[in-house]
Amino acid sequence: MEVTFDHVSKKYGDVLAVEDLNLKIAEGSLHFLLGPSGCGKTTTLRLLAGLESTTSGRILFGGKDVTSLPAAERGIGMVFQNYALWPHMTVAKNIDYGLGLKRLSRVQREQRLQEALELTQLTRLADRLPGQLSGGQQQRVALARALAIRPTVLLLDEPLSNLDAQLRLEMRDNISRIHRQTKITTVYVTHDQKEALSMGTEVSVLRAGRLIQSAPPRQLYHHPETPFIARFIGETNLVHATYRGDDDGHHLFECGFGHLLTKRPKQVLSPGQAVTLSFRPETISVQVDGAARPSVNPLRLVLEHLTYLGESEQLALRTSDQQILRANIFNPPEHDLQEGTVVVCNVDPEHILVLPVEHDLSSGT
Amino acid sequence: MTQSTATAAPLKAKRSNPRQMGTAIGYAVLAATLVALVLFLVLPVSTILYKAFRAQGHFSLDYFRLLFANDLQTTAIYNSLLIGVAATLLCTVLSLPLAVINARYEFPGKKLLTGLLLTPMVMPPFVGAIGFQRFFARRGSVNLLLLKLGLIDSPIEWLEGGRVFWAVVALEVLHLYPIVYLNLTAALANIDPSLEEMATTLGVPRWRQFKDIVWPLARSGYFAGAIIVFIWALTDLGTPLLVGFQETMPVRIFNMITDVNENPVGYALVCLVILITFAVYLLAKTSTRGKSYDMMSRGHVSSAVKKISAVSAAPFYLLLVATIAAALLPHISVLITSLSSKWFMTVLPEQYTLDYYKQILHTDLPLIGIKNSLLFSGSSMLIDLLLGAMIAYVVVRKLIPFAGLLDALTMVPLALPGIVLAFGYVTTYTNTILDPFTNPTALLIIAYAVRRLPYMVRSAAAGLAQTSIALEEAAATFGASRFYTLRTITVPLVSANLIAGCLLCFAYAMLDVSDSLILAMKDRYYPLTKAIYALFLEQGSGEFVASALGVVGMALLTVCILGASLMLGKKMGELFRSG
Repeated sequence: MEVTFDHVSKKYGDVLAVEDLNLKIAEGSLHFLLGPSGCGKTTTLRLLAGLESTTSGRILFGGKDVTSLPAAERGIGMVFQNYALWPHMTVAKNIDYGLGLKRLSRVQREQRLQEALELTQLTRLADRLPGQLSGGQQQRVALARALAIRPTVLLLDEPLSNLDAQLRLEMRDNISRIHRQTKITTVYVTHDQKEALSMGTEVSVLRAGRLIQSAPPRQLYHHPETPFIARFIGETNLVHATYRGDDDGHHLFECGFGHLLTKRPKQVLSPGQAVTLSFRPETISVQVDGAARPSVNPLRLVLEHLTYLGESEQLALRTSDQQILRANIFNPPEHDLQEGTVVVCNVDPEHILVLPVEHDLSSGT
Repeated sequence: MTQSTATAAPLKAKRSNPRQMGTAIGYAVLAATLVALVLFLVLPVSTILYKAFRAQGHFSLDYFRLLFANDLQTTAIYNSLLIGVAATLLCTVLSLPLAVINARYEFPGKKLLTGLLLTPMVMPPFVGAIGFQRFFARRGSVNLLLLKLGLIDSPIEWLEGGRVFWAVVALEVLHLYPIVYLNLTAALANIDPSLEEMATTLGVPRWRQFKDIVWPLARSGYFAGAIIVFIWALTDLGTPLLVGFQETMPVRIFNMITDVNENPVGYALVCLVILITFAVYLLAKTSTRGKSYDMMSRGHVSSAVKKISAVSAAPFYLLLVATIAAALLPHISVLITSLSSKWFMTVLPEQYTLDYYKQILHTDLPLIGIKNSLLFSGSSMLIDLLLGAMIAYVVVRKLIPFAGLLDALTMVPLALPGIVLAFGYVTTYTNTILDPFTNPTALLIIAYAVRRLPYMVRSAAAGLAQTSIALEEAAATFGASRFYTLRTITVPLVSANLIAGCLLCFAYAMLDVSDSLILAMKDRYYPLTKAIYALFLEQGSGEFVASALGVVGMALLTVCILGASLMLGKKMGELFRSG
């Protein structure tokens, strides 16, 4: 079922929780709503579920306006962050309770129950009470209960946030598998960018009630549209700069510690325009052997701090105007770089992104 | 825990191991509690049982046969059971919407109104009954008002025949509903809202959500309160006595106390009360066994409280204000009675005066009552403070194995009706050094202390449970002894709870009815409530002076309870649970 938000806003008193949201969620996709806490992602999900009513705008399920439809008539299945398992009902009863309200024969009901139990590998635990289950098992019950009613849209509200790291990885695979098997359009709310990147077919990043960018994971990582997204999805170096014009097929930018050349950006720039440059730590190459090589963006930086992590090394580098840039070296060769000494680095112009200036870069992460 | 004591040990090698010290304290407190409970709980109750089942030197059911052969007694038993059932049902009906409103909605003025809802609990129904009676007398305000409005032609006999039954029930309900209300509110607030939201997404109608999800989860909380209401209404002596409803168990028992040695049927009647109480608790325990579920709230829990405007809350205001007004009516009528100077054949008094308050200060009985009550209640409060705080410490810090058993033991008095305990004291300790017929001071103090001990233990335990043991262990790592730690770390941290417990113990002892009425036999040992009762029975201005004294008592109680609730906050409700 394709889901459409059409100019949807939600106000709580004077607080705008969701502001003019326009979004299409493709049929059969695993769509992530990603953002820091308080960004409006859970509210958006609850608007979809029909647990909250919109202040303005429309929500469409496959072209049908469901804005004023109660939750039960939307055909959604929901998994709550705290699972919301009924503690006095067994696993089977928890799953069956919703089925009891559908017009189903006894056989169909039993069949759906068994299907849901199998899909989530809970058959053995059918007679347990939720209190007797581990966190991961409870999570699966919540999933089974939502799936049993065969929803047209599955809504997951931070489903893994209460699990430990190991289980979280397992459950990611589990949910991905179930999504592949059922192909139910799924909307998944999380604040964990790794979850979104690793599982999502498309990721919508929200901030302060507004949709910032909606794109597939790779595009989001490599082509973030704002500095906020560049920082939120992965790690990056953000540098204020001013456009100074063209230079030998490159764009020339002036920043606090010198000049940087970039590949020609998509947007049209006028000289003197302020921008934010973003480059990932892995795009800074550090010359560890001291041999001089020609490069486009040579930088002489003071090695402030070095963290050895085995398969990689993280470097904190200080610029002449006291900014700290981060660099990652993967499979680092043997070297004798000393903290406090000057190292020569290079930033590949291909990998420098030119982004608009965003006010208040420090907040929202 | 063991680690920290181990590291502390070498530092102070001479000092005895704190762990052993704790165990020693634990057993000492357990022993003291056991002795106190055996002497003043087990012994009196078993004496009653022994005497009830023993005639002419051997086991016999004769007294029960006599009891059930007597129509007067069976009517009383029947009436009391009916009062209990009716009061519990009506409390439930009244409390359910109030609890839902409190647990689920937020609106302007909610805090004040829901706070006021609790006021009847702190008002003794016994005192309210005096005013209630005046309002509903043949020539009382209600009849006069109805006549004046032309709604009736002749006065209704509110307090005659079957109507007196409902008068007692009404007074009990207006006094006891906060107990059900508090327990239900706590139970409802404890249910994660997502449990119902999930059902909403599945299309479960509201009523089925209540039946299938809310009720099963709130049931044990509800029963915890409902049982107390049933037992209190069943065994309340003051209200039927003052309203003049003689055909109830507590009043019968009260009338039999003085000649119990000539008429042993009294034992059988009290024994019956014990059996009923026990049966009801057992019933409630089995019906909720294994039905208490931990809410598995994890991480973020969305708030269940819905904010609504003053306008949409209009029906709520109406219900809340009407309930508060009804509940306060008896007490307002006491106040008016105590201030009235000319009040004859008019709805409200024609003139007001402070004369009766002045009389309190110039008559013997009220002054004796106040003085005695301050002494008795104060002493019992100190006993409770010492014993209760120690018990709570031993229980919460689990200083001995089976600490839970100690906790359960101290909660028994909450279940035991005051009238049973008082009756037991009279039968057990007559002709001993504690003989209530000669001087009831010691027994009254003990009775007050035993019956309010649970409040103290609960109150102190609540505070201790919130105070991490790590704070004490931290002190121990610096070499502080257990007593030093207690004095400098633990007690200061739970002082608010201790003070609140003291206030509750003191206040409830001040307005204790059954123990006071039964144990105090001579004028000069009358506590406040018995003085009020004695004045009420006096001809002339007695009723008015009794009202004035009642108002003084209510004022005292209000101040204490307000103080306690300020210190305990939301924890207050936990004190009025049976389980």
